[in-house]
Amino acid sequence: MADVVHIVLPAWQFAAILAGPLILLAAAAAGLRFLVRRRSVSGEDRDWSVPPLADSAGATLFHRWDVRCKITALLAYSFLVAALEHVTPTLAALAVSLLALVLARSSLVRALTRLLAVTGFLVMFLVVMPLSAPALPGDTVLVIDGVDWLGFNLRGLYKALAIACKGVAIALLMEPLLTTAPLPVTLHGLTRLGIPDMVGQMVLLSHRYLHVFRHEAERMAAGMRVRGFRKRTDIETLRAVANFLGMLFVRSFERTERVFDAMRARGYRGRFPAPEEPRMQAKDLLLTGAWLALGITLILWDRFFQQGSG
Amino acid sequence: MHISDGVLPMSVTVGGYAASAALAAWSARRTRSETLPKVAVVTAAFFVASLIHIPFGPTSVHLLIPGLAGALLGPSAFLAVGLGLLLQSILFQFGGLTALGANALMMGVPALICGVFFQRLKGRTRSRQSIVGGIAGALGTAMAALILALLLAAGGEDFFGVAKIALAAHVPVILIEGAVSAFTIGFLARVKPEMLEPVFASGADGTHDTAPRDPSAHG
Repeated sequence: MADVVHIVLPAWQFAAILAGPLILLAAAAAGLRFLVRRRSVSGEDRDWSVPPLADSAGATLFHRWDVRCKITALLAYSFLVAALEHVTPTLAALAVSLLALVLARSSLVRALTRLLAVTGFLVMFLVVMPLSAPALPGDTVLVIDGVDWLGFNLRGLYKALAIACKGVAIALLMEPLLTTAPLPVTLHGLTRLGIPDMVGQMVLLSHRYLHVFRHEAERMAAGMRVRGFRKRTDIETLRAVANFLGMLFVRSFERTERVFDAMRARGYRGRFPAPEEPRMQAKDLLLTGAWLALGITLILWDRFFQQGSG
Repeated sequence: MHISDGVLPMSVTVGGYAASAALAAWSARRTRSETLPKVAVVTAAFFVASLIHIPFGPTSVHLLIPGLAGALLGPSAFLAVGLGLLLQSILFQFGGLTALGANALMMGVPALICGVFFQRLKGRTRSRQSIVGGIAGALGTAMAALILALLLAAGGEDFFGVAKIALAAHVPVILIEGAVSAFTIGFLARVKPEMLEPVFASGADGTHDTAPRDPSAHG
């Protein structure tokens, strides 16, 4: 077995290797946040009814794809991607996701929001793993001249990179999966695939009332601000936030009762009307087959042609 | 903090799905079926509550509230957690669905345990209820962090460092969560004490359903 390869670097080079990507990532995250914030603030008069998830009834490949086929293909593909282990195939998966975003004409802001949501967790991996991965025989470890307790393990870096690529690739793929059809249609597709009907209904109801309660929370927060409340790091802030939460729960539980009574009064008996019946065509199946084949190709590539690297 | 896709080994991912599907089915069974829509609406409120950020020095933390959800929803809490995670994926708050099972376990199991803990020990007095609620809140987050670390560590020795960091990062959240939960439970005990009874559990006689409703009486 090969021994651990130690490459000794002067401190400044080591610092540059560590800090360079970190600064780049931090800058990227800050830029993303700025972009997302700016877009979401610009609409002063926000629509608090349910914002439609689906983009314009677009005529892209993903919009026309039968929803059952789309769910099956993209979910199965996601699992295959999650099983990849080497850097190069995960980069390819990332490229596929980006291509899918372009093909589905997804909103850039929403894709960026998703990206932002996973950044924190994945950056933690990128920073911690190279420094904490134990040195195995055959590894290459960068160490500072004279400091031997801290080593930058390249194998850890590759592993973290693969994880980050997988995470981003799958997160981005949710955009074509979930926003190229109205939510009720997607959920109905899930039901047709064997998920209990109640799950779809509950998601639909939660999604609807989420926006109502968020509106409620915003109004309560505005009231607190008007009365001079500012968030600080102290026990009083915690108490105020707790009362705020309590009030939110009280109001929403009461509203829940009224909502449920109203539903019963309108004849709700555990079912919502189904959206129009989807029709599966040969080209839907063809696309599904092609997509799954792509995933399987990636897995085979990962398992059989990637020995040695990563 | 949620686990993102592609982090866990395949066996853990699939096992997490199987375990949480079983738990969700159990949770649905323990919820009176006609109140499932109510659970859905209440989940929306918990979702909104989890978006609230609390300043912590230069940064801010957001509440995870598995403890509160467990205390207020009882056995239905697991359903609520799974639903909330699905919503997060739909609403661009988080990534994909492959890690959904593991994430549901991570937040849902502590919620269930906290629910039992709170209902067993809450007693009658308000101060006792807030103290027990606070402990449940802290306990819920602590258990979620522990499960997160264990799941990460299942990836092998390379992941131990990340697991330790993730555990350490949760310490301030545990303290804040405990305090907020104690105050929230105290508030509810004063304002609407019936909410501290398990509302949706099957068999439990909820205060809102005093008159039995007959579904066939409509139309």
